[in-house]
Order: sequence, then C-alpha cells, then structure tokens
Amino acid sequence: MAHNDQVVCATCGGSGPCDGKGRETLRAGVWVTNPVSVQVLGICSALAVTNKLENSLVMGAALIFVGVGTNLFVSLLRNVTPRRIRMIAEVAIIATFVIIFDQILKAYYWEMSKQLGPYVGLIITNCIIMGRAEAFALSNRPVVSMLDGLANGLGYAVVLGIIGFFRELVGTGALFGHQVLGADWYTPNQLMILAPGAFIALGFLIALYNAITGINKLEGKGS
Amino acid sequence: MKLILTLLDKTRPLFQEGGRFAALKPIYDAADAFLFSPLTRTSRAPHVRDPLDVKRYMSTVIIAIAPCLLAAIHFFGLRVLAMVLVSYAAGGAVEVLLAMFKKEEINEGLLVTGMLFPLILPPGLPLWMVALGSAFGVLVGKELFGGTGRNLFNPALIGRVFLALSYPRAMSAGWIEPGQGLVGRALEYATDAVTMATPLAAAKSGTWAALPKLFFGNVTGSVGETSALAVLIGGAFLLIIGIANWRTVAAMLGTFVIVTAGIYSGDPHAIIWHLLSGGLLFGAFFMATDPVSSPIMNSAKWVYGAIIGIATALIRNFTGYVEGVMFAILLGNIFAPVLDELFVTAHVRRLREEG
Repeated sequence: MAHNDQVVCATCGGSGPCDGKGRETLRAGVWVTNPVSVQVLGICSALAVTNKLENSLVMGAALIFVGVGTNLFVSLLRNVTPRRIRMIAEVAIIATFVIIFDQILKAYYWEMSKQLGPYVGLIITNCIIMGRAEAFALSNRPVVSMLDGLANGLGYAVVLGIIGFFRELVGTGALFGHQVLGADWYTPNQLMILAPGAFIALGFLIALYNAITGINKLEGKGS
Repeated sequence: MKLILTLLDKTRPLFQEGGRFAALKPIYDAADAFLFSPLTRTSRAPHVRDPLDVKRYMSTVIIAIAPCLLAAIHFFGLRVLAMVLVSYAAGGAVEVLLAMFKKEEINEGLLVTGMLFPLILPPGLPLWMVALGSAFGVLVGKELFGGTGRNLFNPALIGRVFLALSYPRAMSAGWIEPGQGLVGRALEYATDAVTMATPLAAAKSGTWAALPKLFFGNVTGSVGETSALAVLIGGAFLLIIGIANWRTVAAMLGTFVIVTAGIYSGDPHAIIWHLLSGGLLFGAFFMATDPVSSPIMNSAKWVYGAIIGIATALIRNFTGYVEGVMFAILLGNIFAPVLDELFVTAHVRRLREEG
C-alpha cells in the first residue's frame, strides 16, 4: 500500500479530497494489509487487553481516535516539519491524543480505565500508529490520511473484537460480563483468559485469515 | 483376511482420483496400510529396506505400554478403557479430517499418542475433557507443525498441558482411590469412587506413602504412571529392542537422583521414594524418549536427558506444582533442536581438524 499507487476509485474519479484512493486506503487498512493479522503489529496490547470483549472494543476505539487524530495533524504539518526531527514531532502528536483519550476514560469510565491499566498510555509506542504516521500521513494529504488512520484503527479494532469475543466466551462463558453459556453445564476454559490463550486465539485467527486470502499459496508459488 | 483383501482390491477404483469416494482416500489408504503391507514402491534412490518401519515401530511401543495399561485397569477400573477409546476417537477424527482437507495420508503416529495420552491423565477426568485434550494435542501439538515426524513437542504432553492450564480444578480432582486386593477395580467402571491426594501432593503436607505401594502402583496418580513395576517392565522391553534410547533415560534419571540427593542431603529413602513416585519413570521411558521430539545425536541426548532430570527435581521441590515431569519434558523438547545443532557443529569441526 504505497502512497503512489495510482488506483482511481469510481466515486470521485480522483478529483475529490481523497486523491482518488479513499476506497483503496480503507480496504488496505481493514483487510488487505490489516495491521494485526497481516503485519502482526500492536500484538502486545492485542494479547493483553482481549480477555474481555468490552476491554477489546474500548481499546479498538482508542486506536481509532488516536490514529485519526495523529494522521490528520502529521499530515497537516508534513510540509513544515523538518525531516530530522519528524519522529519526535510524531511522538508528541501521538502522546497528545493518547493523553486526551486517557483523560476522557478516567473522567467518565473510571472502572474501564482501571482495567485497561497502562495499555492506553502504551498506545504512544504502538507500532501501528507510528507506522501509519511515518508511512502514510507524512506523504499524503490530510483527508486521505485521516481515512488511513480510521481504516487501520478499524482493522485493529475488528481483530481485537473477534479475539475478545472468543476469549471471553470460551474463558468465562460470558459476553460483556453477562453469563451466556449456562454455568450449570459449561466449564470455563481458563487457558483462554490467560496470556497463552491469547496467543493461541490470535494464531488461529491469522491461520483463518490466511486460509481465506490464500496468502500462503501465493508465497509458495514464488519460491 | 482373504475376504478383506479382495474387498479392498475391488473397491480401490472408487477411492482413486475421480472415483466416487475420492475424498475418503486417506481412510482407505489407512485401512490398507494397517491391515496389509502397502503396495507403494520407491521409484528413486535410496531404496532403503528396513523391516522396522513407522508402523512396526509404533506397534512395538504399544506392546511396551500394555503392562501399564493392564495395571491401570486393575487399579482404576474399566473406565480407563473408555478413556483410551475416547482419546483414539477424538484424535483420530482430527487426523482424518485434516488428512482429507490437506489431501495427505493418515499417519501411524496417532497409534502411540492416542494410547499414551489417557495414561497421563487423572483417572477420574470427565471423558469430554479427554476428547478435547486429545484433539488439541493432535491438532496443535502435531498437525500444525507438519504432522508425524515434524512435531517439536510431544503431542500427548501438549494435550495434557492444555488441559492442566484450561481446567486446573478438574485436573487436580480426579484422583480416584486405587482398587485393593487381587482383582482391584478391574471389573467395575468406577466413576463415583472416592478421590484422594496423590503421593506427591500428600508428601507436601508430610505424609509419605510406603515404598512397596509406590513400586506396585497401589497409590493414586495419573492412569498409567502409578505402577513403577509395570513401567519398568515396558521400559526394559523398549530399551532392549532399542526403540527408547538408554542415554536419555540414564541421563534423566541420573541427574534427577543427583539433584534430589542434594536437596535431601543424601537420604536414600527420599531418593528412592522420589524416583518411584509420580510420573518420573513413565516420563523417562515413554515420553522423553520419543524419537521425534528428542534430539538425534547420541551426545545431545545426554544433555537433553539432564535438562529434563534437573528441571523435574527442581519443579517438584521448589515450586507450587507437586509434579514437574510434564513441564520438564516440554522444556527439554524446546532445547532438542538447539542441542542437535550445537553437537552437529562441534562434531563437524572435530572431523575437519582431524582430517
């Protein structure tokens, strides 16, 4: 998904604010180059917070918020940021949005903030956000950059949502904290709420993704 | 036998490519290979001819396990047979489905894994957990790594560690009291039997089981591990035939004795007691010696066995777990390829210098 791909989408024919690659950008972030299942980025948080569906979704929302905000500002400032200090500038922007989200969480959803612990703050070092700022926002116009942040945040959120759904359901028999599978017949699989369970769930998810997209077959032909 | 042979030959076209049941070819091949020697001939060198192929290899291990299985039925009842059946059925189902999906042959590996797996579980474990563990062991422990011969870890132990982490309560509760007397529980099914603490768990609170009981297996514990006598008979058979490598066993038990002696300041009773209790002997003869997940080089097997022996003694005595054989062998499995690499490199260097 390089920025100079000349893919013109049908909606605006290249004349709109997305430079004719809005649809492509969205598709890349959510599916084709999904940050978690293809690039295997942001794994630390993906493994740490997904023992509950609710936590996973809030974390996904955080990444969407920070991703969109960061990409917008990095893109706006891309022509005035000296190349040598661009990294520091990016981190400053990312940190700003992370702190905003963290403060909102603390002010209105204190319980959730406590459960997520340090992982909201750690978004500052999240490779997905930094990577998109570096690889996309620095060389694209603001609107399409925001779209890219949204797409990658969504891609992350969807994967986390699936893992969180699976882990909470199998690990505790509940969803959003409500018992779904009856406690009288269902024995919770405690491995799924431990960290190894997250690795196993993520592994199977990536395997499923590869089976659907046939990525391995393509690679096999090349070698 | 003649009848089956003609039946198999007649129906062969149905299972070939384009036949009506082409999707079921792996099952046909498995039946063919299991009952008769397969027709496949090598077309290219090397044409190695060895009567000890994988199938016979596995059958020999099954014979070696027989004493343990009989002892298990004696002490824990016919439920053991149900566990074995469930283990084979679940593991086999996964294997067959994957073989059909990948269009590959079914391998004989399950013959041993499916038998070993129930023998390392608590005798009172719910049967659905046996099924789940067996399926997980075969799928994740073996098939995802590429099938028989390519697995990094012992599949049966992967299944057990999965159950131990997933259902810790069930895995520490199903210790049925062993049957007494000449017949034991051999004629009962025993699901509602009284449960008790394993010797190792009891020892943590100061109650040490008598040595003769440990030797003959009249204590509770995992299905196949309790009778040291049965394990030794089967293990000796494997060593004599040459399927289990004596170096692994010697290194593992040797280092275990040394470390235990250090911990108990040389008390011979404690050393023998620890040697006979838990899954140590079963693990040493049947699990650690697995030719796939242990190193290939003979010199590497010494280090591999030592890692397992030391780890077992340390886990048993210094952690919250009462038994450490399972984790120790898996730990050894991780080191196996690295050890091979190191010893092969060293060997090659030595040869170069000499010549």
